[in-house]
Amino acid sequence: MELKEISKRLEEVYQKIKADINWEPVGPTPMPELPELRNWDMRLLKTYKPFYAPFCDMCCLCTYGKCDLTENRRGACGIDIATQQARLVLMACLIGCACHTGHAAHILDLLIEKHGPNKKIDLGEGVAVEAPHIRTVLGMKPETLGDLKVAIEYVYKELTHLLSAVHTGQEGSYLDYESKALHAGMLDHVGMEVAELAQITGFNYPTSVAETPLVGLGWNAFDKTKPIILFVGHNPATSTAVVDYLRENGLYDKVEFGGICCTALETSRYSDRAKVVGPLSRQLFFVRSGIADVIMTDEQCIRTDMPQEAAKVGSALIATLEKVMYGLEDATSMDTDEIVRKMVDEKKQFAILDPKKAAEVAVKVALEIAPKRRKEWITEEEAKQFAQKCGLCGLCEQVCPNLFEIGKGISEVAKGNFDVIRDIFNLCIGCGKCEEECPRNIPIFKIMQQAASKEVWTIRAGRGPIMDTEIRNVGAPITLGTIPGVIALVGCSNYPDHRDLAEIVEEFAKRKYIVVLSGCAAMVAGMWKDADGKTIYEKYPGTFDAGCVVNVGSCVANSHITGAAIKIANIFAALPLRANYEVMADYVLNRVGAVGVAWGAYSQKAAAIATGCNRLGIPVVVGPHASKYRRLYLSRKEEDDWKVMDARKKQIVDTGEPSPEHLIYVCETKEKLMVTLAKLCIRKNDTPQGRAIKLNHYISLYKKYMGGGLPEDLHLYVRRDPDIPLVYKKEVKAYLESIGWKPKEPVGLPTWIGTYPTKVPVEAVIH
Amino acid sequence: MSQLSPILPFHRVNTLTGVRTARMVEDPKDLVKQIKKAKRPLIVIGPLTTKITLGDRLLIEYAIDIAKAGSIPICATATTRAKLLEYGIKPDSVYDVVEIINALKDQEWKGVKGEGNHDLVLFLGIRSDLANQGLSTLKHFAPHLSTVTLCKFYHPHADYSLPNIFKDEKWKAILEGIIENLKTE
Ligand code: SF4
Ligand code: SF4
Ligand code: SF4
Repeated sequence: MELKEISKRLEEVYQKIKADINWEPVGPTPMPELPELRNWDMRLLKTYKPFYAPFCDMCCLCTYGKCDLTENRRGACGIDIATQQARLVLMACLIGCACHTGHAAHILDLLIEKHGPNKKIDLGEGVAVEAPHIRTVLGMKPETLGDLKVAIEYVYKELTHLLSAVHTGQEGSYLDYESKALHAGMLDHVGMEVAELAQITGFNYPTSVAETPLVGLGWNAFDKTKPIILFVGHNPATSTAVVDYLRENGLYDKVEFGGICCTALETSRYSDRAKVVGPLSRQLFFVRSGIADVIMTDEQCIRTDMPQEAAKVGSALIATLEKVMYGLEDATSMDTDEIVRKMVDEKKQFAILDPKKAAEVAVKVALEIAPKRRKEWITEEEAKQFAQKCGLCGLCEQVCPNLFEIGKGISEVAKGNFDVIRDIFNLCIGCGKCEEECPRNIPIFKIMQQAASKEVWTIRAGRGPIMDTEIRNVGAPITLGTIPGVIALVGCSNYPDHRDLAEIVEEFAKRKYIVVLSGCAAMVAGMWKDADGKTIYEKYPGTFDAGCVVNVGSCVANSHITGAAIKIANIFAALPLRANYEVMADYVLNRVGAVGVAWGAYSQKAAAIATGCNRLGIPVVVGPHASKYRRLYLSRKEEDDWKVMDARKKQIVDTGEPSPEHLIYVCETKEKLMVTLAKLCIRKNDTPQGRAIKLNHYISLYKKYMGGGLPEDLHLYVRRDPDIPLVYKKEVKAYLESIGWKPKEPVGLPTWIGTYPTKVPVEAVIH
Repeated sequence: MSQLSPILPFHRVNTLTGVRTARMVEDPKDLVKQIKKAKRPLIVIGPLTTKITLGDRLLIEYAIDIAKAGSIPICATATTRAKLLEYGIKPDSVYDVVEIINALKDQEWKGVKGEGNHDLVLFLGIRSDLANQGLSTLKHFAPHLSTVTLCKFYHPHADYSLPNIFKDEKWKAILEGIIENLKTE
């Protein structure tokens, strides 16, 4: 009975993924359900154990509680504090995955309506492996927009099961909750990939080119003499319709448009006239400036008080997606001119869910109201006058989540010194708590803005997938280690310091790593110019190659970064990827020196993305803010299991080499981050030449930032003499001798397959 | 040990977000008593010690003096190793804050001297959001040790914490008091 059931399910799966089309043999895990990759997860979690930092002592999820979980107490449902943390992490990953997949599903439906389900997915001549995640996870090669529906439905189904597991009295093991979180993370990358494939296909975004246009970045990029439309959020359904409307009506250069957060990046892939104002942390600042005539919200990472904030400064507001309707009247079926009239005359705000109608209304309203509005920053003199009201009561400082001395900054402004407040602005997350608290109603944001840089920078428009040709070029040097690593800077703002990202990019691009960026991180990295007045995008080429700097695009474009890692295994190493997740992840973990960095505050989407990277064997380093996410995956290098199978000899070898050392890790300062990144790029597969290059960077960064000498754990990464970088040969050899280091054989073909229970045979990793 | 929250309503689990909060200590003598009782104390020095000036000295100098006066081994986190070397101090161990906390929560860990895990850990100069999360880890998963914070903000997840201090002179006086009292038997 059971067997029959299983084969019936497989039969269905085979049908869905069109298994009869034989582009590659179907691997062991097509459309995997929860238990199918669990052994892989448990293998990961054996070396990279969950580390929990509870935010709260209690659980308040249901009315059996609240339950106090301190000192080994269990909740009324039986849960303990560690398992409760794992459950919260799973919830975060589910929220993140649902956001990306919901976005993907919405945009896919819209584009299928526009182009029909048979519209071919075509990513240009450089990209034959169009969907590394869908191919690997589902085992399907999507050829049309309609095919992508299969992927969406699969993610929906898995999400439902995962979500049910967080109910009171379900899962009782933190390890199993982690396995579920890893599953959610993997699904997240599938969801993101669907969004990207649909958008590139349906909106004709650039693809198969490296050098995409440079677009204006910063809040002064707008020409304030023209009407301005601002998009806030992540979904380009409406922003692209605005561009179309402007083009069709001869208004393309008469109206300014651009956005905050990912819709900005999306729109700049559609039109190089789109401006990128900045990341999430600048949202409230820009809205409060009143510069935007019309604000159009879509979904994710939009402030929930947008209607109130827009009304305060006289900007018109349209909510364009059902996920965020703010309690506004739904005017989707109202007459267009009537909406415009009500918005202009009565200052009404509406939800309009039809992108074309919303676009037309937005443009018409902007054209009407713009000439009547004051759109200037306050003057230095005005700022000083406001600041003179400050009584230095310190209330603003007590509520600042970043612990800034805002009152001090304001009182300095009163004396004409803007330096302190400018520094605060550069690190501020833009939450608005300080201004809300001020008993003298000082417009702290406006004052900060006066102090802030009015510079206009550039960002390279997101380029989408990494080309197969690029993968062929870099596959060998990456896996051998002669390109020392791929560093991916992703996730939300703000950062411990606003210059951090640009400095990290510089350090690693100069050292000939491949640097990849996306989302808010891609924007903030561009907000800095060198002595010659150049941003990193003007300085470094946009190819996926050593010493280059690639902006893949918005949040959902993160799927291209992880996709590139899969493509190295598939295209360069010629390992089949179809329904072959474990082999891909094992390859990436042991042989691809890639590391992700989410340096800023960390949304649930970022949690899902990072956890998806982890399941695929890509370590992630997060900034200090992200310690609040409660869970890391850490090893203890001296004690943990560093055994691998040498696939050629079919022997288990104890390497003692902690590479990569952690799967998700917190660094407190940028300097330490740089040292850590170099180390986390080391892989067991490195050739002696590659290892020497990687250790050269590790040692030199250590010397630069850690006060000289050699890293405490250097001996763990030196296998034999040729691994030692030439420049440090004498010093390293003397050190190794002093601690009684003994050489060991490098492993020919390192893999975890064969070291834990799996259906995959060791032969499957040999190419 | 830490105390129940000082403002504890009767039906406490329905009204509070946390039930165990740090005992607030202001008198250096009380703190030093705890430190001296410990068999294997450790001081974890964070990167803010290299950025904050207190009186006319860097905060890290106070940390060094505390370590010296109490013969307490040092764990240098982030890039503080570099600064310590400038002062001629070779730290007993170099870890990031999450790594040292991960090690400390293992009761069987041998400690930075290889003599056994520590029973009291002092923290100074770690940004407070990160510190509070790390202290939470130790509060929940390391009942075998107590934690003391020497920064100028109250850290509820610690076992012993200084209060919120609004005047640097007061903070300086407490740290100097600790150094003095550690020196005298
Ligand atoms: S879910 Fe469990 S631990 Fe949480 S409140 Fe309900 S019974 Fe208590
Ligand atoms: S807006 Fe910035 S300065 Fe004000 S409270 Fe929030 S983080 Fe602090
Ligand atoms: S709350 Fe207002 S008055 Fe008080 S210190 Fe801050 S800015 Fe000044």
